[in-house]
Amino acid sequence: MELLSQIMIMAVGAIFINNFVLAKFLGICPYLGVSKKLDSALGMGMAVIFVMTMASAITWLIQSYLLVPFNIEYLQTIAFILTIASLVQFVEMVIQKNAPALYKSLGVFLPLITTNCAVLGVAILNLTADNGLPYNFGFSILNGFFSGVGFTVVLVLMAGIREKLEYAELPASMKGMPIALIIAGSMALAFLGFAGLKF
Amino acid sequence: MKYYIKLGLILFVTCAIATGILAYLNGLTAPMIKEVKDKEAQEAQLEVTKIDENDANSYTFQPKFLQLDIKGDSLYYYVAYNQDQDKVGYVLTASKYGYSGNVKTVVGLNKEFKIKKIKVIDQAETPGLGAKCVNPDFAPRFTGLGLDELKVDKDGGTIKSITGATITTRTISNSIKESLQLLMEKEAK
Amino acid sequence: MTAMKEFTKGFIKENPVFILVLGMCPTLAVTSSVKDALGMGLSATFVLLCSNIIVSLIKGIVPTKIRIPMFIVVIATFVTIVDMAMAAFMPPLHKSLGLFIPLIVVNCIILGRAEAFASKNNVFMSVMDALGMGLGFTFALVVLGTIRELLGAGKILGFPILPQVYQDSPMLVAILAPGAFITLGFILAVINLLNKRGK
Repeated sequence: MELLSQIMIMAVGAIFINNFVLAKFLGICPYLGVSKKLDSALGMGMAVIFVMTMASAITWLIQSYLLVPFNIEYLQTIAFILTIASLVQFVEMVIQKNAPALYKSLGVFLPLITTNCAVLGVAILNLTADNGLPYNFGFSILNGFFSGVGFTVVLVLMAGIREKLEYAELPASMKGMPIALIIAGSMALAFLGFAGLKF
Repeated sequence: MKYYIKLGLILFVTCAIATGILAYLNGLTAPMIKEVKDKEAQEAQLEVTKIDENDANSYTFQPKFLQLDIKGDSLYYYVAYNQDQDKVGYVLTASKYGYSGNVKTVVGLNKEFKIKKIKVIDQAETPGLGAKCVNPDFAPRFTGLGLDELKVDKDGGTIKSITGATITTRTISNSIKESLQLLMEKEAK
Repeated sequence: MTAMKEFTKGFIKENPVFILVLGMCPTLAVTSSVKDALGMGLSATFVLLCSNIIVSLIKGIVPTKIRIPMFIVVIATFVTIVDMAMAAFMPPLHKSLGLFIPLIVVNCIILGRAEAFASKNNVFMSVMDALGMGLGFTFALVVLGTIRELLGAGKILGFPILPQVYQDSPMLVAILAPGAFITLGFILAVINLLNKRGK
């Protein structure tokens, strides 16, 4: 029971309170870049959830069974970014071969994910002792998953708003990026309200 | 096939060179980083042990095992002695997840386990709200309190919370309470 | 003459933040004070400079197929060096930039310049390009940091600027997450406006 409530707290924390995009500023580039259309936002979101979960698992194993035992923790950055890059490539190949339909909808987003700092960010955050989570394999994976969900939620919300925005009359200089950023700011303001949920 | 082996070899060599450079630099900087951290910790220990800022007595600290942290590393508390080798109190490091990161506090205690002084040494709380816990007017709110008095005003205690940051205040209070309880159990033995 | 052009383009015409809208994560995350903004900007400039030099030197011997992983290794190495050096010599700055130092690896500006410029030009031009882009990035961060610190704390670089009354109850939202998005949104809008006037 306690485990379940711990997981619930973590889910709420990762999705709403400490949202990766709006509170931690991770994954801003795809958040602004791929949020013009609802279905591509959804595709990107799914791809990110998948890669973040996988990356959390693999980097945890690398850290615990490779970097720490050999005392080479200073290689963390290099090891993780290479792992993530190869992981993304590998996932791309597997999906392309086994699930062409899925590849059609996710494929274009996969290469973009390597430079999505949310993936490297979650991998590093999982392994710092002070992220407020129990330090173990299962929680790292769950944290990766829920952080990805949090990313997807705000990405999809943003895409929904921006699709409607196409029809709004705006001053010419506000169009595009400026208004997207201001909307993102308003969303961040709204998400600040979740702070009271902390128990 | 041969071509791919060559590619792999080139990548391998690149990584090996990078690793070599980093290993060398790590050997240079690691002791410096450790020194900086140790010095910071020592200064904080001294600060919470001194009677006031002008206290020029020298103190020595003897580490004792407190508990394991979540990563399995040992955490210590320190028994403070003055230059006559009399026990003057304890120094404790308390740490707990606050609003957006761990809040770490060094706590000076007298022999009766009452708080002499606290100092927040590490925090990533919201600027302007929770981050006010490093302001000079925050630490005195804890002075003189014992284990049972560590409660913020929202929970019926006497510690005044930072406006808009009850979570941070409660985290600090609770973290000290948990570690202090452990310390008292260890010392009672 | 062209060297000068490569240098200055990063400041205004192709400013990575204001015009190209790249490297958004650190731009938004570490600009709550001028000091952090400056630290981040200069660290990124250093990494960019070193990676541009190396990439430009090895461009002839790198097989095209594996150039991206090799660039990533080069960048990650320099990021780790910055990380170590900062922890040893500037511990307070290291603490406040935290996670965003390793994340310089995935800053799209750096990989972008390696791929788009340094792998095609000679060392001298690459140095100019790196300095221009890096300092342009730093400049953008400092502008954002100045506005946010002034509004959110009434100070610049820690020095009180606005009257005490304001400092006691500043517009806190400017240094919180929403303020980052909104401030940048308005800056971009103003730049759009100026661009249109200029034409």
